[in-house]
Amino acid sequence: MTTDLAILLVSAVLVAGVYATMSYGLALIFGVMKVINLSHAGAVMLGAYIAYVLIVGLRMNPFIATVLVVPPLFFLLGVLLERVFVRPVRKAPPIASLLLLFGVWLMMQNIAYIIWTGEVRTITTPYTMMRFKVGEVPINVNRLAVFLVGAITLLLLHQFMTRTYLGKAIRATAQDSTAAKLAGINTDQIDMVAFGLGTALAGMAGALTSLIYAFDPNFGGSYMLKSFCIVVLGGVESFLGVALGSLILALAEALSVLWIRAGMQDFVSFVVLIVALLVTPGGLPGLLQKRYAVRPR
Amino acid sequence: MRAARILVFLGVLILLVLIPVVGRGTYFQHLGFLTFLFIILSVGWNLVGGYAGQVSFGHVVFFGIGAYTTAILWLRGIPQLLTIPLAGIVAALYGLLWGWPCLRLRGPYFSIATIGVGEATRLLALNLENLTGGAGGLTLPTPEDIHFYLAGFYYLAFLLMVGSLLISAWVRNSRFGLGLFAIRMDEDAAEALGVHAFRYKILALLLSGFLVGLAGSLYAQYILYIDPGTVFGFSMSVNMILMPIIGGIGTLWGPVLGAVIFTVIQDRIMTLSLNLWGFSFKLVQFHLLVYGALLVLIILFEPRGLVGLAERVHRRISRWRQARAVIETAG
Repeated sequence: MTTDLAILLVSAVLVAGVYATMSYGLALIFGVMKVINLSHAGAVMLGAYIAYVLIVGLRMNPFIATVLVVPPLFFLLGVLLERVFVRPVRKAPPIASLLLLFGVWLMMQNIAYIIWTGEVRTITTPYTMMRFKVGEVPINVNRLAVFLVGAITLLLLHQFMTRTYLGKAIRATAQDSTAAKLAGINTDQIDMVAFGLGTALAGMAGALTSLIYAFDPNFGGSYMLKSFCIVVLGGVESFLGVALGSLILALAEALSVLWIRAGMQDFVSFVVLIVALLVTPGGLPGLLQKRYAVRPR
Repeated sequence: MRAARILVFLGVLILLVLIPVVGRGTYFQHLGFLTFLFIILSVGWNLVGGYAGQVSFGHVVFFGIGAYTTAILWLRGIPQLLTIPLAGIVAALYGLLWGWPCLRLRGPYFSIATIGVGEATRLLALNLENLTGGAGGLTLPTPEDIHFYLAGFYYLAFLLMVGSLLISAWVRNSRFGLGLFAIRMDEDAAEALGVHAFRYKILALLLSGFLVGLAGSLYAQYILYIDPGTVFGFSMSVNMILMPIIGGIGTLWGPVLGAVIFTVIQDRIMTLSLNLWGFSFKLVQFHLLVYGALLVLIILFEPRGLVGLAERVHRRISRWRQARAVIETAG
């Protein structure tokens, strides 16, 4: 029993790495632009397919593909999306950008259907089946590597956000876009970079997920829900919050297997979401206000 | 002008009533039934998504609950027609269940939560096999005179459509509707003026759920087979969002117009195939692309849909006429 529990916990922690990468993308875009990026699900799904093309089609090393090739591609995609679709509706009510990005998601899904059909795909690499044992607990090398890539990316990003001018400018815009503009930050440019970074993270998370799970053109939806759940749990600003939220959700999901059947696992993220929203009424903004309220001047 | 309008209205009405008499069991009758069904869905969604401005991505749950309520009760021996109002009521109660926590959220946050509601409900329907038959779905008994039966449902759908329009019109002109409009514009300001926003939103959701539940019930009895993939499918939620947006979100006639146009688009897409450069494409492969592109184009260029477009064209024409009149008097 204790070994079973240990196996569950280890796998939960390993999955949390991917969740965190995914959610940080959503949180970044929301934090800076106050736009909920519904095309996030599409970017996650396309990320998985691009990884499939690179790894299975072009026989590239899986980790070179997911770390070095996919993120720059999706950064460009994100910049393009921001310029073409999001910028024209920034002044409109928030529902406009939500519906617009929803339309983009539908289009992405259909494009994936046309190119890759609706068939369920998997990526098998030399690492997929490799495992070693720590005591009684077997650890899958592939999952460990995916976790490490996700974690290192987030750590580097954290450094970028706290140490560089651009990162600080992004955080300043997230806190108060008007004040940032007054301080001489080109907020339009920051928006573009943030959307690009967020999409790059989504694409990379999708590529990493594709190394672990099977995927089809619909698969982004439930991950977006999970990301949203994590963002609500952890808040949009802090890197630590997102990591913690991911861990909580992954643990809840892993432990739920003890009570409900595996097919219902996605139900957990929904329940956690609702509970989190009830505990912090008003959702994200409520959470934000609370944070701001206790922040010393 | 007014007389002409009434005449056109009566003409369309008579045509619609005559369709099953002239062409019993034809494709037009089927298309007519679908149009009425979609109008009910579109008008129902518009009560929450349009009037109150709370866009729901999970409205399919009402449709599915309505369909399953009818199927389950009918199979347990409850008279068939009695299940229709029951389906509406159960759907509305389900709305109360998830609306209570979710409607405390505002605007976009509510929308995200509704995606979760849709997913969670579909999973429940898939996994509660004793009640719903799981992924295999439920098959309903085939009636003896199928042509007579389907024609009957054509008229029933027509009546319910008229009913839903009357409800929508009543809401729009009532104090309740004004409260919803105020919430859409600015929830804080509405509350400050004494509109109990949460209560208003819940009421709108109940009403909307009731209408969509009725539509689900009709669908189950008309198709005689339901499964979670169809009646709880995300694509039905997409349809419900798309129709009012095409027509004009938050207006009375926009959702109706949008539903009519959407039924035609959907029918064409589902059946047509293109032949380009020797390749044959089935258009159905591109349906999400078309829907997504429509959504994007409408939001970018005319957020108020066809109604907004019509108003804009009307303004142009009247301005042009004025200009002409000025030129003529001057010349």
